[in-house]
Amino acid sequence: MNVKQLHPLEVRVLRAAAAEAPFTAADLMAAAGMNLGQCNQAFSWLEGKGLIAERERAQEVRYELTELGEQYRRDGLPEERMVALLRDAGPLPMPEIAARLGLEQRDVGSAYGALAREGVLAMDGARQVEVGAAGGESARVATVRGLLDRLAGGAAAADELTEAEREQAAALSRKRGAARGVFRAVESESVSYALTEAGQEMRRAAAEAGLSGVEVGALTPDMLADGSWRGVQFRRYNVNSPPGRVLLGRHNPYTAYLDRVRDQLTALGFEEFDGPLVETNFWCLDALFMPQFHAAREEHDVYFIKEPRHASRLPEPYLERVAATHADGWQTGSRGWGYRFDPDFARRTILRSHGTVVSAKTLTRAKVPGKYFGIMRCFRPDDVDASHLADFYQTEGIVLGEQVNLKTLLGLLKLFAEEVAGAASADVRYEPAYFPFTEPSVEVFIRHPTVGWIELGGSGIFRPEVTRPLGVDVPVLAWGLGIDRMAMMSLGIDDIRDLFSPDLDQVRRLVAH
Amino acid sequence: MPTIDVRDELLANLLGGAVPEADELERLLSTAKAEVEGYDPAIGVRRVELKDTSRPDLWTTPGLARHLRCYRGDALPDYPFVSTGAAPPDTGERVVEVDPALEKVRPCIAAFTAAGPPVSEALLLELIQAQEKLSDSYGQRRRAIAMGLYRAGAIEWPVHYRAAPPDTTRFVPLGFEQELSLTEILDQHPKGKEYGHIVRGQAAFPYLEDAAGATLSFPPVINSAGLGSVAVGDDYFFVELTGPHLDILLLVASIAACDLADAGYTIEPVLIRYPYDTAHGRDVVTPRYFQAETGIELAGAERLLGEQIAPEEGRRLVQRMGSRARVEGSSLVVTPPPYRNDFLHAVDVVEEIAIGRGLGSFEPELPDEFTAGSLTASTRFSRAARDVLVGLGYQEMIFNYLGAQRDFTERMNAPGRMLVEVANPMTENYAVVRDSIIPCLLAAEMSSQNAAYPHHMFEVGKVALRDDDDATGSRTVDACTLLVADRAAGFNDASAHLAALLFYLGAEHRLVELDDSRFIAGRAAGVEASAPAASAAEAGERTWTPIGVLGELHPAVLEQWSIGMPCATVELHLDTLRDILHHA
Repeated sequence: MNVKQLHPLEVRVLRAAAAEAPFTAADLMAAAGMNLGQCNQAFSWLEGKGLIAERERAQEVRYELTELGEQYRRDGLPEERMVALLRDAGPLPMPEIAARLGLEQRDVGSAYGALAREGVLAMDGARQVEVGAAGGESARVATVRGLLDRLAGGAAAADELTEAEREQAAALSRKRGAARGVFRAVESESVSYALTEAGQEMRRAAAEAGLSGVEVGALTPDMLADGSWRGVQFRRYNVNSPPGRVLLGRHNPYTAYLDRVRDQLTALGFEEFDGPLVETNFWCLDALFMPQFHAAREEHDVYFIKEPRHASRLPEPYLERVAATHADGWQTGSRGWGYRFDPDFARRTILRSHGTVVSAKTLTRAKVPGKYFGIMRCFRPDDVDASHLADFYQTEGIVLGEQVNLKTLLGLLKLFAEEVAGAASADVRYEPAYFPFTEPSVEVFIRHPTVGWIELGGSGIFRPEVTRPLGVDVPVLAWGLGIDRMAMMSLGIDDIRDLFSPDLDQVRRLVAH
Repeated sequence: MPTIDVRDELLANLLGGAVPEADELERLLSTAKAEVEGYDPAIGVRRVELKDTSRPDLWTTPGLARHLRCYRGDALPDYPFVSTGAAPPDTGERVVEVDPALEKVRPCIAAFTAAGPPVSEALLLELIQAQEKLSDSYGQRRRAIAMGLYRAGAIEWPVHYRAAPPDTTRFVPLGFEQELSLTEILDQHPKGKEYGHIVRGQAAFPYLEDAAGATLSFPPVINSAGLGSVAVGDDYFFVELTGPHLDILLLVASIAACDLADAGYTIEPVLIRYPYDTAHGRDVVTPRYFQAETGIELAGAERLLGEQIAPEEGRRLVQRMGSRARVEGSSLVVTPPPYRNDFLHAVDVVEEIAIGRGLGSFEPELPDEFTAGSLTASTRFSRAARDVLVGLGYQEMIFNYLGAQRDFTERMNAPGRMLVEVANPMTENYAVVRDSIIPCLLAAEMSSQNAAYPHHMFEVGKVALRDDDDATGSRTVDACTLLVADRAAGFNDASAHLAALLFYLGAEHRLVELDDSRFIAGRAAGVEASAPAASAAEAGERTWTPIGVLGELHPAVLEQWSIGMPCATVELHLDTLRDILHHA
């Protein structure tokens, strides 16, 4: 243990204590400049450290003034006031004394009884009270008066009082249950301690280090204002004591991750798009050339809206063109699916099931050349478990331009792998893929240092059956990235439900790496 | 996406040698958009996932093996038993007579027979798997395609495809020992319960029997236990497919016939005699080719691939991917094989060229056209709000948008709120789209009562509001909602934070008294905002627009959520606020 680790109060006690002789709190309070509470606190710490040891324990009674006592000290005891009144006004009957002094008759009666026994007061023939032969001076009252004045400066221990004072103090003390008393007796335990050998050593060390225990804790504005900081020594802190916990405001690590992706994509020249949560079969599936009755559609389960079941209208000329494209290819160069398109089924309202719907809608207003992206909440009827959610984010987008082709598609995927996912160029691989709305279609995989090859995303060039009906004549590259999976790896979580955790403690602890 | 079992024994036979090493097999399968999901070496079975839903010919082991052989350089096989309709082959006695009444029931059928070696267990399992994948996955759970397999040796020709009375037609279905009527099969047989809905309600049901009156099956539901029961060792099969549209049946009949041919069987066509017109006439010999040639301009391919492809090279690559092609001037004409019908557009051919050459052979390039990136106004404004709230000491949360109806109504002391509801929820926990974030924050508070207080939480996210003026009946808006929960949390905390938030977003606001059963009476307010007035004169005339609510949550609400701390909340619609500030 280092002397510098002692609390200032402990240092003060060590410095004030006698080297060998026992001491009590009362002994040290003045010398160490501490109050009783501080003394007791320091004793308890020092005893815990084995620097002081208890020697003796004694019961002690101390007297102090009650409110009544304080009043008597200020205004006079009833006895004093009666003598003074009778000296002034001459003999008076008892009720008259009570009335003039504003005292209860019984108080006047008992005061008279005591003073009469002492010969201070007497009763004349007319039953009036008069000052007695002794001339009005009572030794008892004088003792009580002395005690009142003395205790006004603070409590006093019983053994500091004269025998006469002790007698009066005991007699006039509030008894248990008594409503009124002039004094209060406070019983306490007085413990004496002495320095242990270690304590004596620490006392020497404190002296050698020049520590007084009056080192200053906090620097205050006052010290700066009056310059008094120049004269003080600042207490050394234990730099290893644990700090308090701070509850701070903070972005959610998952939304922060999505923000980072947004910023990266805008830095790469992509314009953000967005759309409503409630969509129609038309925009979600039909406009993407997914036949209304087909195996591909069965795969693509969606949540239907209960009310209204159908959108009131769909925009032309897109509806007409998409219907014709499904039927016979319209002007797209396709032979179409060869069935009669059902416009009512197209109006069926559903929850957005994939982000590509917003890509399709964006085609109707897109710039050429143009690059777009969106991070969109999508909904699928899946059993919710560690790897499936009923609603989740998809990060998707499109690139329009005369230069869009398979090679620029691979170039974009490479860019995403390197810039967004941070993969080395040797750790990127492309595989043929299938999406009903793109041809050709490509999936991109990256090599993760621990997990191995993981799918980063899918992409392709929109089929002309998708772009032409929506008014676009240049090739359009469509892409999607598996951002949720990358966010989970970044946040070190393996249950996708934790991305949307409602547990405040868990969210407060979550840190991205 | 279907997943099939591929047996090493069968795959090795079909490849004419050993199964390739795992890495090589993965690489080859990727050209068929297929991926190995798992392998059980003890029984030599691989689980293979097929991603291309427009290529059912790859959903069988013989079909996959055919693709692999071809990709490795084998010549394309010929299937001369597939007729073109020009000169139909003689089918002898193999005829299926179609009942006129079927036109309105299940009008189309395709069929053939296959003779060859006694069937092995591996091949029989493969045939059953193919039947299931093609009928159930590709055939829309047998609505579009139902496929049946029979012992051909016992059949008396011709076979009759009839519309049969449901109650008086009786036979012993596969898996049963006693006769049932067609109606009883729908009610009692497991397959009847599963597929009966396809025919139920019709006056007559589809029914197949031979010339001797022996039942083949009740399509699309169940085979008979007699002719319709095939076993290991059988060597002569009758295969038929029924459905509402003929072309898809012709396609799948070709898949099944070519697969059996690859497995060493001789395919014999069957003549179908329709009493009504079909796209291919009244007498249709199946298997039958119905596909059209697809031509592509090589210049168009170059535009899509970013590289010039020599005509002969294009022809070779298309052929490697399994289709015959010929060069005609500057174009390539592709003749799809009988088991494929996925060339809708020239782009479908272009992809075959790309995969045939290998994606790795194309050098990634970046377009050099310049575009400026930007965030939506919604994202930018949301970020501004989120940053202020973080500065005010709030922890940002992010929640699911789907929830339980009662969390947004009863538990908010607000029954009867109109929500966007899901018609086909998986569970009642995900049955409505949220119209407010307050219940999400209360749910978080409910599960965070062990976290150190005070709790300051917020989310900026989307909510869907019912709106009859919108074509879809609802509107999606950005909501910004904060919740403070603490021993002494109340209206004043929320109000102070609201004031700070709106100050830094550049809006002025006022509070108006509000009756809202979610909050303690007299401690709820409507929040109205306005752009800052340019002058004192203007200040008097400006309009205030409601943008949200502020309040101390009612104890009845907190009790519903089992929350033991007072909570106050603010919810704003950022879109409305953004409009006010934007238009000022």
